[in-house]
Formats: sequence, structure tokens, C-alpha cells
Amino acid sequence: MDATKYVIETKGLAKHYNGMQALKPLDLQVAPNSICGFLGPNGAGKTTTIKLLLGLAQPSAGTGRVFGEDIRTQNDEIRRRVGYLAQDQRFYEYMTARETLRFVARFFYEGTNAGIEERIAETLELVGLADKADRPLKGFSGGERQRLGIAQAQVNYPDLLILDEPAASLDPIGRHDVLEVMSRLRKHTTIFYSTHILDDVQRVSDTAVILNKGALVAQGPIEDLLARGQAAAFTLTVKGDTDGVRARLQGQPWVTHIETMSKNGSVTWRIAVSDPDVAEAQLVPLALGSGGVTVCEFGRNHWNLEDVFMNIVKESNHER
Amino acid sequence: MSASTALLVPSREHGWKMGLNNFLAKEMAAWWRTRRWWMQCLVALVLLNGTMALNLKGGSGFMNAAMAFLTTAGLCVPVAAVNLAQDAILGERHSGTAAWVLSKPLRRPAFILAKLLAHGLGLLVAWVVLPGAVAFLQLRGYFGSRLSAPGFAGGMGLDYLNLLFYLTLALMLATLFDSRGPVLGICVALAWSGPMGFIIQPMQRYVPWLENILPWRLMVDFSRQGPLAGYLAMGQRLPTVTPIVATVLWCVLFVVVALWRFRREEF
Repeated sequence: MDATKYVIETKGLAKHYNGMQALKPLDLQVAPNSICGFLGPNGAGKTTTIKLLLGLAQPSAGTGRVFGEDIRTQNDEIRRRVGYLAQDQRFYEYMTARETLRFVARFFYEGTNAGIEERIAETLELVGLADKADRPLKGFSGGERQRLGIAQAQVNYPDLLILDEPAASLDPIGRHDVLEVMSRLRKHTTIFYSTHILDDVQRVSDTAVILNKGALVAQGPIEDLLARGQAAAFTLTVKGDTDGVRARLQGQPWVTHIETMSKNGSVTWRIAVSDPDVAEAQLVPLALGSGGVTVCEFGRNHWNLEDVFMNIVKESNHER
Repeated sequence: MSASTALLVPSREHGWKMGLNNFLAKEMAAWWRTRRWWMQCLVALVLLNGTMALNLKGGSGFMNAAMAFLTTAGLCVPVAAVNLAQDAILGERHSGTAAWVLSKPLRRPAFILAKLLAHGLGLLVAWVVLPGAVAFLQLRGYFGSRLSAPGFAGGMGLDYLNLLFYLTLALMLATLFDSRGPVLGICVALAWSGPMGFIIQPMQRYVPWLENILPWRLMVDFSRQGPLAGYLAMGQRLPTVTPIVATVLWCVLFVVVALWRFRREEF
């Protein structure tokens, strides 16, 4: 790995198509040997960013470096060291999985077949396609294609693996396998991947980058994002005459916001508070105070990445 | 990493050739290791040699049968070339495989040149050499040794030049347009408009030089002067080489424009 501090570093990287800003000036940093989740709603600019890094599209403004090489002028060298899985990965249908990997490997390696064939066999084993290696791709399921996509992306031992929605079309077992493969690869490579599955990001990623409407809205270690600006909150699930209770809770000066969800005759409130100690002591007595209400569940709310993501995206939407 | 790393030798291809060998091998395999080659050969034999067989069976003379073969080739070969060439670029762009392979160490000129070389060779065998050889044997079988092999091969050379014109034109148009309609429409209109009587007369009146700078005269009996391929096939001297030189220059120009445009393409 190079002595450069970041594997990916962009400064003011922007892209517009026919006057429409697909990516607003982006300052992005991805550290070596990290797994970085690239998050954002559809149309946020994730795929555009990836295409700019790979030279598949040209920036309208700003600069970008991968391994310290300029994405505009030194893209050949970048592509020699990167493995890429596209969002909707397509292959040549007349090839088998083994032929596909051989075709990709031959872009990176030359000389005798022995090393390449050994590498292909190893890669097929890694993604669980060894028994289907010589079947034409026409008969492959979505999950098998996605595994092959990951296999072709890392057949060259890339220093950087860029995966655009790697678990999108997989069932829970397939998703688990993909995350496992990513975890195994982290000691050899940096992984930069876009996804909508926030639970996966929280499980395997070190850092996350959040885009919304073409602009960067948050970037940093997962722990920092989880801690970022989140007010304390409690979850209270009750049954019975809930209208009066809700009004009473809303009247408390330390209650800042209440979100309501109803299910099977019970109501769950997510209550954001400014003073968690007072809230912890008084929420249940307040709910039970008027009678006619049963408290089914009460506890401190634990924020997950999905909550953080939704809040950040909502905040950034309001700011615009 | 595993032990196999030691056996792997990194590719040393650089510059415009980066990835060319591998991508060309894949394009050749797509021609010769799939059913494409025999399908193309079969269609070419049925259309070109089948037409000639019907002519011969109908009692056509030597000259008429030979001209019918050249005319059929002049009209059909461009369609075959255009159909394959536009799919080679637009098909890959639309399906996403072009973006995929270009994310690997493959330069864009190498992508275009591999397509050109593989299709150029495949079409040469399927649409020129094979039907040309069969046509030669058909004519020999009916009329004896009135036809010289080198002359006929020269005629087939012009057939191939005509094919290359439409192949390179379609490759260029496929880099300029995003849909198949304009590519097919422009190429087929150009290939078939030359021999049509209602176009020839106004063209000869207002733009008489046009027939000399386009490939129409190579294969088709344009304005009753006889196709240039016919002169060669009969062992006669060519009345002009201007359309040949012009067609070569067009091919070079189309390739240059295709390379320039594809370099700027965004995926």
C-alpha cells in the first residue's frame, strides 16, 4: 500500500448532466484497510461518485485521487489496483463462471495459465460457486450472479474493492455470506461499498459516508455517527385510554418530541427528552397516573444507524 | 494471500493497447466459439450463393450470373456488417457490459479496435471468402475456366472494402447515437440508395462527383457503367480507382471519429 494517507480522497468533486447537479462538491476521505459504507437514498449521487472514481464518467469540477493517483489523468493505474462490482452487474451470457473469471483475470495477469487457474479456483471457492463453475451463466440465479460479481471484483487481489449495492439482490443467507466475505477481505484490502441495508453497514463497516440529493451530509466512524447529535429518547408501549396520557406527556417541559406507532391495540411512543434522568423517573408514573392505562413496555431507546440515517437525511432535506 | 500469487505475472500492456489482447481474444471467441460463425456462414451462403444458384438454374449467362452475385453481395453484405457492428457497441453500452469491462485495465481505443478486428475477420470469412469461393466454383462448374481466380479474388477484395466501409460507418454511428434506429437507418439508406433509379438521375445531374467518393460503384452496376468488382473479376482494367481510394479514406475517418467519440463516452 502507498504511503498516501487516504486510499480515496476527493476535493470539491462534482458532476452535472445537462444542467442537473448529480453530485455537489464532495470532499471524501477513505482510510486504508477500512470498510466504508456509502449511504444515501436513491438518486443521492452514490453511483455517480463511484463512476467518477473509476473513470467511467468525467468530473465537471474538483479533483479526486485514488492511491494518490489522479482520477482524470492516471486512471489506468487506478483500474489496475481496483476491483469493481456494478449495481446491476451484467456478464457475457455465453460464458461460464470460470470463463468469466478467466476473462477478467487476463486483464490483470499474463503468462502461464497455472497461476490464473489456481487463483480462479480459489475465488470460486471463496464465493461458494465451485460446483457451478462450468455452468453457463444463463441459468444463474440473482444471488449466484451477485456472488460471481464479487468474485470477479476481487480476482485480481485489488487494493481497493468498490462494490455498488453488493447485497441488494440476495436473500438473508446470501447477504450474510457477502458480509462474511467482506470481513475476510478487510485485512488485505480497503472496501468502499454503497448500500441501502443500514443494518449491514453497522455490522461490518468502520466508517460511513452519507449523501443526500447529491451532497455530503455526514462522514465519519460509525460510533461517531451513532453518537452524533442524538437526543436521549425512551420507548413506552401502553394499552387503554392513551389520548389523555399523550397530552399529559407532551405538557412536560423536558419532553421535546413524541412519535406514535399503533399496533394490535397497543400504542408505542418514542419520546425524545431533554433531561433523561427526570424522564426515566417520571415517564411510567405519569402514564399510569390517570388509570385506565396499562404499561406493556418501557426502556431507554438505543439508536441504530437507520435512525441516525433517517434523522440526518430529514435534517438535510429541511435545510434545503 | 494464497500461494498462487507467486505464479501470477502482472500484465505489462500500457497505453492504447492496454487490455487489447485479452479483449480481442474474447471477441474472437464470441465469433468462433459460439454459433455465430456458422449462422453467419449459413445466411451468407443461402442469400448470396442461393441467389446465384437460382440465376444459373434459370439459364442466366455467365456475365448476368456473375453480376447478380456481385449485386446481391453489394446489397446484403452491408446489412450483415451494420447489424453486427451496431450491436457490438450499442448492445454492450445498453446492457452494461461495456461499463463493466472498461472498469478493468482496458483502454477505450482497445475496446473499439478489438471489435473492429474481430468483426472484420469474422465477416471476411463468413460473407466474403466462403461465399466468394463457392460462387467461383459455381461459375466454374457452369461455364468452365472463363473466370480467372486472381481476378475474381480482386473482385472479392472490393466486396470486402465495401463491407469495411459499412462496418466502420456503423461502429462510428454507434458511438454517436444512443439508439439503433439512426445507425441502421443511415447505413441501410446509404447502402441501398445508390443503385435506385429515382436517386441516380437527380444525383448525376446535381452532384455527379458523389458516385466517385462513395462505395456504390464498387459492387453495384451503378448507372450502367458496371461495378468495379466486375471489372476485376473479368480480368479487365479498372476505369477509375477514385471510389476505391475514397472508400479507404472514409474507413480511416470513421475509425478515427469512433475512437475520438468513444473516448469521451460516459457510462
